[in-house]
Amino acid sequence: MATYTYEHTPDHGAKAGVLAYLATSAAVLLLMMVFGLLMRLEQAQWISIGADRFYELMTLHGAGMVGIAAIAGASVMWHFLRQYVDLSSRIFIANLVLFLAGVVMILGSVLIGHFHGAWTFLFPLPGKSMGMWSPGAAALFMGGLLVIGVGFLLLHLDIARAIVARYGNFARALGWPQLFGHDDGKAPPPTVVASAMVTVVNVIGLVVGASILTMMLVNLYVPGFDIDPLLAKGMIYFFGHIFINATIYMAVIAVYEILPRYTQRPWKSNKVFLASWTASTLMVMFIFPHHLLMDFAFPKWMLVMGHIIGYLNTVPILVVTGYGALMIVYRSGIRWDMASKLLFLSLFGWAAGAMPAFIDGTITVNYVMHNTLWVPGHFHTYLLLGMVAMVFGFMYYLGKPDHEADDRLIDRIAFWLFTASVLGFTLSFLYSGKESVARRYAAHLPEWVPYDRIGAVFAMLVIASSLLFVGRFFSRIGLARHDYQRAPVARPATA
Amino acid sequence: MTAIAPDRARIGFCALGALYLLLAAPPVRSWLEATMSGHMLVQIPLLAAIGFAACRLLGARHQERLLAIAGGPIPLVVMAFFASSWWMLPRALDDALAHPLVEVAKFVSLPTLVGLPLALAWRRLGIIGRGFVWTNFISMLAVLGWLYIAAPQRLCNSYLVDQQASAGWLMVKLALLLFAAWLGHLFVAGPPVGNPRAVHGP
Amino acid sequence: MSAVARSVAVTALVTVLGSGAFWWGTDGFTAFTAETARRVDILRAPRPLPAAVLEDQDGRVFNLDDYRGRLLAVEVIYTRCTTICNSLGMAFRQIRDRVPAEALGRDVALLSISFDPERDDPASLKAYGIAHGADGEHWRLARVRDAAQLRALLEAFGVVVIADRFGGFEHNAAIHLVGRDGRLVEISDLDAPLQFAAKLVETL
Ligand code: HEM
Ligand SMILES: [Cu+2]
Repeated sequence: MATYTYEHTPDHGAKAGVLAYLATSAAVLLLMMVFGLLMRLEQAQWISIGADRFYELMTLHGAGMVGIAAIAGASVMWHFLRQYVDLSSRIFIANLVLFLAGVVMILGSVLIGHFHGAWTFLFPLPGKSMGMWSPGAAALFMGGLLVIGVGFLLLHLDIARAIVARYGNFARALGWPQLFGHDDGKAPPPTVVASAMVTVVNVIGLVVGASILTMMLVNLYVPGFDIDPLLAKGMIYFFGHIFINATIYMAVIAVYEILPRYTQRPWKSNKVFLASWTASTLMVMFIFPHHLLMDFAFPKWMLVMGHIIGYLNTVPILVVTGYGALMIVYRSGIRWDMASKLLFLSLFGWAAGAMPAFIDGTITVNYVMHNTLWVPGHFHTYLLLGMVAMVFGFMYYLGKPDHEADDRLIDRIAFWLFTASVLGFTLSFLYSGKESVARRYAAHLPEWVPYDRIGAVFAMLVIASSLLFVGRFFSRIGLARHDYQRAPVARPATA
Repeated sequence: MTAIAPDRARIGFCALGALYLLLAAPPVRSWLEATMSGHMLVQIPLLAAIGFAACRLLGARHQERLLAIAGGPIPLVVMAFFASSWWMLPRALDDALAHPLVEVAKFVSLPTLVGLPLALAWRRLGIIGRGFVWTNFISMLAVLGWLYIAAPQRLCNSYLVDQQASAGWLMVKLALLLFAAWLGHLFVAGPPVGNPRAVHGP
Repeated sequence: MSAVARSVAVTALVTVLGSGAFWWGTDGFTAFTAETARRVDILRAPRPLPAAVLEDQDGRVFNLDDYRGRLLAVEVIYTRCTTICNSLGMAFRQIRDRVPAEALGRDVALLSISFDPERDDPASLKAYGIAHGADGEHWRLARVRDAAQLRALLEAFGVVVIADRFGGFEHNAAIHLVGRDGRLVEISDLDAPLQFAAKLVETL
């Protein structure tokens, strides 16, 4: 059996680029949360902005949140991966610049051009606006996505380059020799395994996404070139699904890297761990059909495959990560602070968010649930309580004044407020979904409105606690650059 | 990438020249150009490949000089991009079949404006540059294939609609194949790289 | 000149030359190929339509050919549609209102054809007609009961229909003009009904 040792070393401060990523994500996150609140207020019938405005907000909210989730996840991955391989700062920054350029294009498209075809730009919507937006606006939106995609493609190619330079190839970076052969304990660390996986799946997703975007751009101007709507949908969901899944696979690196520092127990890349990441690499690429369960036109075998994989995809990494975290923490005498609490919470949130997806994955339920608020309920749980909590934990960690520093009372209150209000917010979605309330802009019967209102109140509390987290990060951003020990040393209970 | 012995280079040039003349010979030309797939997916890539291989035979010193004159790899890639896109235009294909002068332009430009610049640039592109070229090329190939499949009518006067569709499908399949191969190469490439120092950190 | 400056300059030059060549070679980025897509094609060479037997909102059975000798505007719909088909109905009404009263019925007729014959029985057709102000004479609503005929007709009109997940359909929409000789002469965007009407009046 392999042996692993753990050495306590000071943490590396974040590079300016990482902080720029985090600052961008934090600012956009808050703004998009406010947009989300406005949508919820509309559903609660407290304000009345109308369908067009609603869809504009939803388009911005969806595109913005997915974008910053990717940016924040990339910053976590880049920060830690840099300890093992030689990454290029210039490409890292170039990605942010391209991202911001894409954001400007998208903002222009939505705010000036009134594009509101949703971030999933489902074909043939962008081209069939019935006069509500021009082809120019749709083209600008899709062009913005393409620019963002090019940035991420460059970033992943740089990561691929660095990983190949250090480990020779991806098979070794994913630990296949140890997975399929004798585990000599020399498998790459979890950070490298996760980064390799994300790189492979994202490059595939981005190439598919770029292809369908180009096709739709052509179709926009030359409608004679028909796109099979089912093909378009398949490709869009394939890309979207991979991209959003990848954000959490990047952010979870914070858990792998930070929790061990609190307990002085290393996170091992053992066979089970490696197997789970390899399995999910393959499954992520095949999961997309589960979105299409209701399109009878898809070949049967694809539906069946999507159904089965829809069940299994997240499970391996989730279980292995959750179990690993418990093992690391169990009887370790860990001293909880904001960072470790948020990271631990994030695993719970991720698991909790996967649960409704299981239920949704059952085909019979799928017919009923897929277009209800059940779906936003499911992804908001794992994104807010999982992905976003990981990023908040990372932010707290970077800004921690010293390893003995105690958290302020108000932060501790905000932690519980965040946890409770996110749960309240997502449960209001899930409950409405169970009652078959349609998602997006739809007529809400009077008896549904109370749940929408409860949801809106919780959304405000989510925003309030997030505001405090983000404010704390900005007030400590100067500390984040320095190298020093941040994690408190665990105090194992004396046997 | 080292200098090539002069006589090896001469043999190489002769082989390439022979292949070039073979492609230009009327029977072979009309045979390949009879189908859209033969034209777009065999003749045109081979012409570009001849330019690529010829460049490799030039010797490192000449290649470096040309590279310096062109101003580095990026302008060369852009040049290859434009020139190769041109010959993907259905219009250009038709013209090449109808006008001998255009046909000559095709035979000259593909090796010199596509193959040669790519070969020069390739040495300077790292994994990132090559990956960028590959991924873009692959998605463009797939999109082009789709364009040919989805085109609402005959694109080329010289080819029938079903040829167009089969060429399109071939392109899509080729794109998938190339992509799989490119990804696969990431999994096998590279000699074992011992355990070099971590960049920094533990 | 530094290497970077040279690279930028040459790249710019190549880009300008390349784009210029494409501009010149494609007549200003318009004629790559089949730019002259279906619509342009039909403008140039009107297309014959297949024969079809229809049943209208009052259960009357008739042939598409019965309209020979008149100009016929055609939209293709299904009545439960909550989106595009309503826009089509509205566009149709605008067109109808612009046709001179004396020409209506005598020289110009409008026809809404449903592609969902199963559910669009005469009663649903009638309801759709009433909702959009069709009179049932000069503007009739009809279904094609024979599946093969319907398929051929959709094909000829270039209408693609795909079942969506709510039991409805996704389909493309346009306003079609069938000439006096029974051939499809023009397909126009549904967001430009006034232009269509103007052209229609012109050909009277
Ligand atoms: C206070 C926090 C938030 C609020 C109040 C909020 C609210 C909403 C609302 C009301 C919708 C529309 C749901 C529907 O009716 O279909 C929505 C959609 C969405 N939200 Fe959020 N949200 C929040 C946070 C987030 C976060 C953190 C993310 C991702 C990181 C996110 C990603 C999305 C996405 C992807 C959609 C789907 C848009 C679409 O259907 O095209 N949201 N959100
Ligand atoms: Cu409709």
